[in-house]
Amino acid sequence: MKLHDVAVLGVGMVRFGSLGAQPLADLAREAGLAALADAGLSFRDVGEAFVGYVAGTPMTGVKIMKEFGLTGLPVTHVENASATGLVAFREAAAAVSAGRCDVAMALGFDKMTAMMGAPRPDAGARDPKAAPRRAPSRGVGRDQIDSVILPASYFALWATRRMHERGTRPEHFARIAAKSWNHGALNPFSHRQPDHRVTVEEVLASPMVSEPLTAMMACPVSDGAACAIVARKDLARRRQPGRPIVAARSSALQSERYTRGHTFVGPVVGPSSMTRDTALEAYEQAGLGPEDVHVALCHDAFANEELEYYELLGFCTEAEKWVEEGAGELGGRIPMNTDGGLIARGHPAGPTGLAQIHELALQLRGEAGRRQVPGARVGLAHLVGGGSVCCVNILCRD
Amino acid sequence: MSPLAPRPRVPIEPGFFTIPEAPAEPPRLLGSSCRSCGEVFFPRRAVCAKCLAIGTDDVQLGPRGTLYTWTWTHLPLFGSKRADAGGYGVGQIDLPEGPRVQAVLAGPREAFSIGMPMVLDLEVLGETAEGAEVVIFRFKPQASEERAQRAEGERSPSDAGAA
Repeated sequence: MKLHDVAVLGVGMVRFGSLGAQPLADLAREAGLAALADAGLSFRDVGEAFVGYVAGTPMTGVKIMKEFGLTGLPVTHVENASATGLVAFREAAAAVSAGRCDVAMALGFDKMTAMMGAPRPDAGARDPKAAPRRAPSRGVGRDQIDSVILPASYFALWATRRMHERGTRPEHFARIAAKSWNHGALNPFSHRQPDHRVTVEEVLASPMVSEPLTAMMACPVSDGAACAIVARKDLARRRQPGRPIVAARSSALQSERYTRGHTFVGPVVGPSSMTRDTALEAYEQAGLGPEDVHVALCHDAFANEELEYYELLGFCTEAEKWVEEGAGELGGRIPMNTDGGLIARGHPAGPTGLAQIHELALQLRGEAGRRQVPGARVGLAHLVGGGSVCCVNILCRD
Repeated sequence: MSPLAPRPRVPIEPGFFTIPEAPAEPPRLLGSSCRSCGEVFFPRRAVCAKCLAIGTDDVQLGPRGTLYTWTWTHLPLFGSKRADAGGYGVGQIDLPEGPRVQAVLAGPREAFSIGMPMVLDLEVLGETAEGAEVVIFRFKPQASEERAQRAEGERSPSDAGAA
């Protein structure tokens, strides 16, 4: 989808982390008000809102939007698993591009610590005879059998096959993970902010999760909220004179196309052609190619995914060499996940894609501080979501 | 129930695989074959994912396949008591009929390599309140199956009859 005359006016987020004590509505309000302040707009200016979350119960979105006031605006819930935030952004940008409203809000929030049954402060006080907390179901109609194989195992299956076909070594995955941890140290909104330079050896020595993937190659369980305000470009020029205009140029969203070897039961994010096809559509609609991209963010729930996406997003044809050259690191040819990615910045699902938009907006304005990619004018955000879907959004500095 | 009688076995979710009466017989997967283009799917479906034709025939798949990729997972297995047994294998198996199937693997970590022949089996995950075993399909290396059959063959005829 080509986007006409759409600018990102404001972005805001809370630092991702284990935020168990903070109500979800507080997180959402903080991120939303930060984005409105960054945009220089009042909530009364917002014509339409798209809320992204995966863990809420029905009505959660509309109720949380009341935190900003009751203005009668349309509120729509968007859910595409891990890709939720990027799809909420896509819908907000499409609403402005289509002329449905002048200003739209995309707001993502989620608490994965609650959804995943992570230990709570009162965990020790639970009645040992009480029924055990059940694992959350992930599928409709296949609640049990779909849950047996864990996402960590699924992505490890990719890694083993890649090693078999291309001679990839665990060191390649570890170098990507170490890079993301070190990028996270430069981002005040990152869940993980290591106090030392993380090394390949440290990543490899962390506990094994599913071979060859170690704990430090995996994203943490995070809570958080993030928000983007999009509007017509003339509003951006009028409201923000002197600030660079960050335009939303294109957005592509695809679900899977059937290919032989498709797995229907258990976790699935693919086939890999899904990312290639979705990126191609986004490039075509933006009138750009991978060679034009200065900074990118991708779905790196596990480090080996990022290695695959270097190729599928069109950045290179030999991802192992790309890693060895440090091409995806700050200072490299196309820095990837400059905010730490899912691995460091965190992955609370609903807000993840909006944290990516937050990072791209800062990078393209030149406001990313110590992690700034010099002269960045074109940015790409990519997420896959279980089920599965892929969403790619391209932003440009005008 | 006599302690020697085989316990009843129920699937973790119905409609995905058979549970043969004879404990040693491998299960089969319940799939569909498109009446129009012939593409074969696991699990069962009503509409062909490839040519979109409505109408499929039920087919049974397996029990043999080839290991496409695998991993050894160090996290607890969903619904299982086998949490602390040092991990378990997970793999994708290509069936000769076409589908690629994700499954838990049986066998030690050293047992697996890409391309090796595999055979279906059942894994006990737990039990119901009524005492029936809850099972899911899994794959194991075919070599271990052949070893078991050889061991079976070396037993006396009276032993084999009792089994």
